[in-house]
Amino acid sequence: MPRQAGRSLRRLESHAKVTGTVEYVHNLELPGMLHGKIFRSTVPHARLARVDVAAARTAPGVEQVITGQDVLSIIPDPYYGPAFHDQPILALEKVRFAGEPVAIVLAADPYAAQAALDLIEVEYEELPAVYNEVEAALKGAPLVHDKLRPGSMFADLIHVRPRSGSNVHVDYRVRRGDVEEAFRASERVFEDTFHTPAVAAAPLEPIVTVAEPGGSGPLTIHSATQNPSFVRGELARLLGWPENRVRVRTAFLGGGFGGKQYIKLEALAAASTLLAQRPVKISLTMDEQFVTITRHASTIRMKTGVSADGRILARECEIWWNGGAYADIGPRVTQKAGFTSAGPYDIENVSIDSYAVYTNLPPAGALRGFGVPQVNWAHETQGDRIARELGMDPLEFRLKNLLRNGRPQASGTILQDSGTEEVTKEVASAMRWAEPLDCGTGTTRRGRGVALAIKAGVTPTTSVAIVTLAGDGSCTVYAGTVDVGQGSQTVLAQIAAEGLALRAEEVRVIHPDTDATPYDMGSVGSRSTFHMGLAIQGATEQVSRQLIEMAAPVLGADAADLELYDGSVVARGRGDAEISFRELMATRFGKNTGTLVGSGSFTASYDTPDPDTGQSDDVAVFWMIGAVGAEVTVDTETGKVMVQRLVNVADVGKAINPLLVSTQLSGGALLQFGYAMSEEMRFEEGQLVNSGLAQYKIPTMLDMPKSVEVVLVEVPHRNGPLGAKGMGETGTLAVSAAIGNAVFDALGVQVKELPLTPERVLRAIRAGAGRPLED
Amino acid sequence: MEQLRIRFLLNGEEVEAGVAPVENLVQALRRCFHLYGGRESCGQGICGTCTVIVNGRAVSGCLYLAVLAEGTEVVTVEGLSAGGRLHPVQEAFISCSAFQCGFCTPGMILMSTQLLEENPDPTDQQIRHYLSGNLCRCGAYPEILQAVKTAAQALASQK
Amino acid sequence: MSILGRSARRANPPEGVPLDYIEPATLGVAVELLASDEAARPLGGGTALMLLMRYGFLRPSRLVGLRRLASDLGGISVNDRHELRLGALTTLRDLELSRQVARSAPVLVEALHIVGNVRVRNAATLGGHLAHGDPHQDLPPILLAMGARAHAVGPRGSRWIPLDQLNLGYYQTALEPAELLTELALPVQPEGTQGSYTKFTAVSAEDWPALGVAVFFRRDQDRLAGVRLALSAAMDRPQRLAGVEAMLDGERPSESLFQAAAETASSAVEPMADGGGSTAYKREMIRVHVRRALEKTMRAPALRSG
Repeated sequence: MPRQAGRSLRRLESHAKVTGTVEYVHNLELPGMLHGKIFRSTVPHARLARVDVAAARTAPGVEQVITGQDVLSIIPDPYYGPAFHDQPILALEKVRFAGEPVAIVLAADPYAAQAALDLIEVEYEELPAVYNEVEAALKGAPLVHDKLRPGSMFADLIHVRPRSGSNVHVDYRVRRGDVEEAFRASERVFEDTFHTPAVAAAPLEPIVTVAEPGGSGPLTIHSATQNPSFVRGELARLLGWPENRVRVRTAFLGGGFGGKQYIKLEALAAASTLLAQRPVKISLTMDEQFVTITRHASTIRMKTGVSADGRILARECEIWWNGGAYADIGPRVTQKAGFTSAGPYDIENVSIDSYAVYTNLPPAGALRGFGVPQVNWAHETQGDRIARELGMDPLEFRLKNLLRNGRPQASGTILQDSGTEEVTKEVASAMRWAEPLDCGTGTTRRGRGVALAIKAGVTPTTSVAIVTLAGDGSCTVYAGTVDVGQGSQTVLAQIAAEGLALRAEEVRVIHPDTDATPYDMGSVGSRSTFHMGLAIQGATEQVSRQLIEMAAPVLGADAADLELYDGSVVARGRGDAEISFRELMATRFGKNTGTLVGSGSFTASYDTPDPDTGQSDDVAVFWMIGAVGAEVTVDTETGKVMVQRLVNVADVGKAINPLLVSTQLSGGALLQFGYAMSEEMRFEEGQLVNSGLAQYKIPTMLDMPKSVEVVLVEVPHRNGPLGAKGMGETGTLAVSAAIGNAVFDALGVQVKELPLTPERVLRAIRAGAGRPLED
Repeated sequence: MEQLRIRFLLNGEEVEAGVAPVENLVQALRRCFHLYGGRESCGQGICGTCTVIVNGRAVSGCLYLAVLAEGTEVVTVEGLSAGGRLHPVQEAFISCSAFQCGFCTPGMILMSTQLLEENPDPTDQQIRHYLSGNLCRCGAYPEILQAVKTAAQALASQK
Repeated sequence: MSILGRSARRANPPEGVPLDYIEPATLGVAVELLASDEAARPLGGGTALMLLMRYGFLRPSRLVGLRRLASDLGGISVNDRHELRLGALTTLRDLELSRQVARSAPVLVEALHIVGNVRVRNAATLGGHLAHGDPHQDLPPILLAMGARAHAVGPRGSRWIPLDQLNLGYYQTALEPAELLTELALPVQPEGTQGSYTKFTAVSAEDWPALGVAVFFRRDQDRLAGVRLALSAAMDRPQRLAGVEAMLDGERPSESLFQAAAETASSAVEPMADGGGSTAYKREMIRVHVRRALEKTMRAPALRSG
């Protein structure tokens, strides 16, 4: 029987996915169900003078119309959010972004609900609005929130320090060494400002929730959420109920990428179902997803001092995160991406200021990388500029400054079990870096670039798992991990199977259902294989111990000599002495009866950073380390960049399923490829002008680089399940900068703002040639 | 408002349904026949998750009025594996791991069958071009490309 | 066992939107239906109409389905003037796959390969493509440069509309309410005609063009003759550039001539800024792509008759 860890098993639900029969909440219909359609604010910042839903209430087919005032009757303090309790279920006194939910129409016929939206009249008293993150952080900027509402269930966010009277709602900092002194001692000091735009996760299964009032049972929420346990807790808090009266379950998700994190439609669906006393489904359109959650636009100022021989002596980063109107998980983005914003480098003197800023735009949250793709764009782009101006090879410059195991990261936490050297070596080899590249002449130029990435695994978080063995010896795993497409059900089955010496195909991992699956912080931040994997390992150890204790007297062997093999307990060195799980269960409970239960949990350790310096002994549960190489051609007359090769190197610790790991890495790279090349939410006076996939273009198969390659590096993590670490975001982090650096190599000019649209690149070419494009 | 009765051939069976003029085909297939393989996502004919084959040609079910199905022959992904046997394209999507979340998969598979009917031995560029109207946000494009080539070989060896 | 499972008549269809659907059997009735109700809209393939309805730009009271008219309004044939006659209800995909179109209008087929995606082309009709008036369509500049005429039938009778008079502005056409396009006539292109269509997309490969350039000419000895050049997508409607055509006609092709023509083209129109780029960028793209389109046309095969 093969080892289960390390098998390139196809997704266990493959058959259902290719036949279209796989379960998504998107498909769910319940008897008597109403459809909810949301009336959204048309202005970015205003007092609500009047919300008149009378005509909509009497429209044909409409069962109910709910406003923010109606919600108050069941939820007196209807503000939710993972970091701040700042987002009202439906707008109350004012609206803070164009697209904010103001009312919801419920009807059995979704077309009737939609049609009735036209009958709702809202009078707005418009207020001055602010959209840019740097302007919003200035004194005197219009305030998006008059009062801050901090409040978090997460231990890593308890120390965030809200600032009142400002749109800056989190002001996070790292201080290490003395940057001012080091800048004075530097041979050269480089200062650049970088920008990234708001972008959309746009999972193809749009955000959807179905809620059932429950009657005497629990309020039941079927939701395409990445965080079922969090949703349960948050709804219980809003309702003032114990958590056991709220049930949250999921099915497979049609993608998430962070867009379905924490709480999205669930509170609105819960309020609607409780008021209507009927099941309610809210299924967003693709366009609505765009105003529901975005990835933070950012402005990043980076100042770096280097010695003549290319050592980075000091780095100062100042980051403004455009959080939109509600904090969502922005405070964690501010912190996590903040403390790695100096990059995977060994720098003695670091100063980081990272500000979460409210603006009158749709809320921003985490989107594959928790802000690291933005800061990576800054430090890796500047890195190539520094190398070029010092006359150094960009890879040599990185190697010279590389953060290696045993050395402190900017947060003070010591790097360990991390393949920074290995990924750098591998990307150099895959890119044939030592061989020269012909950059070409004429209107087509070639270039290549690399970029390195570091991200800290979020901590402290908890996963709990239950593993059972039925009377027939079959194994079920009760885990709150959500399969958003990453293949967690398959990988967790492999981990359980490894622990119980079964075949992964025989193990069933159930979908999260908070009535059955224990707590899990969420399928976010590349944490599931590591955290849930460890919890499952703990649970299978308990089951295994029970099996061995049961088998010892039956086989007349010492427990220490027994082990599990292929669904049986066997005595080492005694080929004949074995008993199958099924038979063993029968000896204990009777034929085909009984259940063995094992449970396990994992909570990562954490040392709360010093609020003034950000210093901590333990700020990452593991480090995600990656390197990306890109080769491009650029049409110098149009500015069009074609990525010919995209090479992704990631330290995954141990690939429990190399196939799924590789495809998740290349998939993550292609997601970020879109953000690097074309994707950009464009706002005019707070109004999104390119929602939906006709205007906001995501990459097609025609856009995909000619060659997409993945190289796995396995530097085992001492605590990881079988040595594995999280890697769901690793492939995403450094893509933009690698491509940007390849463009720099091809053209000799740098673009500091994403995405690398033809116009932006052409403008850089023309500015570099002293003939700027005249507007 | 008038309800329209339409008759058509659905995955080889004669069927009848009452639809509203405003309804699109993918919604009608879900509501009347519990066929969930076609899914509405972008609602603009861009993403291809709602792909349905009408009279031998793929259309975007979200932009196709259900009433236009009257008198036609409609095939959905559920019809590809009728009889319980997977189509070679479906087999290839599994063996090449050509999906992650699976939401785009039925549309990708239907379009791939159309491509291979028109062009049994497509080049990489032809595959990319033909499937450029089907989006995969998980980024399984490299595996999808491989799956179409694998299916082409499997279909060729069946002949 | 039936793969459909239970009976089809499970739930009632939605009733929230008052909308009628009717499929007339004759063109006359179709026009009458449209004329009698200004909120009625014709439905061909529906790909554009469904979008306009979804976003609330159109709230028709009635859809007049045209597909029963396909025997009159469909098909590809040659008329008595030897022109290619393309029925308005012909799908873009039928045009793309037609050998007859490939023979007489290879540039059109080349462009059809990259209009929208396969599913859109399977449903969308030529008449809808033209009547929509969207400036970002791929075929109008080609048809314009080829000297096509569109035939329309309305309450006040029928008429031919030269393609350069069809588009009046952004989503505006010369069609009157209740007037329907019935067919398109493509004149025979002179022996030896070379042509090309260049589509520039700025964001994604699968996108509407940010700029379309259609060029046709033939060569008379070593000089250009019968030059026709149309631009689209960057402006509010497709346009022939008569000044540029005149610059090229009768001249010997050269790098400097094409460069000069491209310069003239870029200053002859007023590009609109949108997601595909700023006005300045689009002007620059006209400069680059008109030159490239002329060069590409030089390399294009010459049309042989018969």
